[in-house]
Amino acid sequence: MYRIGKYGADDRMCDLVCAHSSVLLVMSRFGIALGFGERTIGETCREAHVDADTFLAVVNLPIAGERAADPSCVSVAALTDYLHRSHGYFLDFRLPAIRAKLADAVAGGGDLSVAILRFFDEYVSEVHKHMANEEARLFPYVRALLEGRRPTEYSIDEFSRQHDRIEAKLTELKNILIKYYPAGRTNELNGVLFDIFLCEEDLASHNEVENRIYVPAIRRLERGGAR
Amino acid sequence: MRPLKLAVAEPSLVLRKGVVTVLERLSSQAVEIVEVEEPSLLVVQLRRHTPDLLIVNPATPGLPSPERLREEAHCPEMKCAALQMTMLDDTVLRAYDGVISIYDSAEQIGAKIAALTASDNVRDMRREPLSPREREIVVCIVKGMTNKQIADCLCISTHTVITHRRNIAAKLQIHSAAGLTIYAIVNRLVELSEIEPAYGGDR
Repeated sequence: MYRIGKYGADDRMCDLVCAHSSVLLVMSRFGIALGFGERTIGETCREAHVDADTFLAVVNLPIAGERAADPSCVSVAALTDYLHRSHGYFLDFRLPAIRAKLADAVAGGGDLSVAILRFFDEYVSEVHKHMANEEARLFPYVRALLEGRRPTEYSIDEFSRQHDRIEAKLTELKNILIKYYPAGRTNELNGVLFDIFLCEEDLASHNEVENRIYVPAIRRLERGGAR
Repeated sequence: MRPLKLAVAEPSLVLRKGVVTVLERLSSQAVEIVEVEEPSLLVVQLRRHTPDLLIVNPATPGLPSPERLREEAHCPEMKCAALQMTMLDDTVLRAYDGVISIYDSAEQIGAKIAALTASDNVRDMRREPLSPREREIVVCIVKGMTNKQIADCLCISTHTVITHRRNIAAKLQIHSAAGLTIYAIVNRLVELSEIEPAYGGDR
């Protein structure tokens, strides 16, 4: 079924996933499994113990834009949990998978393969640092806010100021491979490149969720709003 | 590579989405489009996103002149294009860097945007090959030398080294030492064994 605008709790989960394949990635990070039959988004979320409003805010962001995400209706606890799981997903699954494929594709390239893999490893360690900082400073701060405390040594403004685009360097690697990698076995390399394109988009949208939904929701919390 | 940042300010959803769709389809390079629906939030949004080009309906009530917009939004480099929908006095349009009509074809809009953003010489440099001097500097960078060491080695000032580095980054769209290493190896400027000891020291 074709639809215009944002999705609601009464829409069928299968319609959402069929129309927007990127939702698959969001689902797995929320811990929602396939096999939802004719159930609605609301029902599927309830069964998986996921806050439906938060799930909808995340999936609607790329579909309907910034205005679709109302920070007042997301659960900060659920979103924190989602972001934490996303970090694990990128660091423990997605990036290692790309590295393995990349190593395969550039194997036998001598110096060049070494340099490319080092670039990738350097990038991954930057992502580690970026996400570890959120895990070590931002999330504990948010948990404290949720418990009704107001730590003074950190604020969401500080986070917002320092929050850089983590996908930027991946974009650079992609450009280098496209422009300068000497022709050879192309199937493998093009396959990895495609994965990098997807991962770049996925990281960018992860950042978007943080900047456009999470940060406003935390700001609201700092001002003493509910949830 | 930094994407081209465009802002489209138009309260009407249909018109704004129409412009955004045309812009997204014609982009030959990565573009980031910020949509501004609420005219009263225009300055705040511009300040936050600092776009390269603003496309705005000049008939918006209460809209400051492009000159004042640049000033208030702290975007001195931003270009302003008028999104023309009705007949307007020339004196109004003259304040803008360009005029895009809602009756323009996609090609016309593309050409106008290219012209408006082309003065940004960073983007013009992309097709130029590196000069011999720049190649030398790339080798120094991947060997892990500091700007000061490069300056001493090539008998130029640190300031010149920095300018060269900026131009290299603009031409190659590579901003990290690790990225330049890949470039240098592909182009046989260095071999890994030459840079092995210093590798990783720069970053």
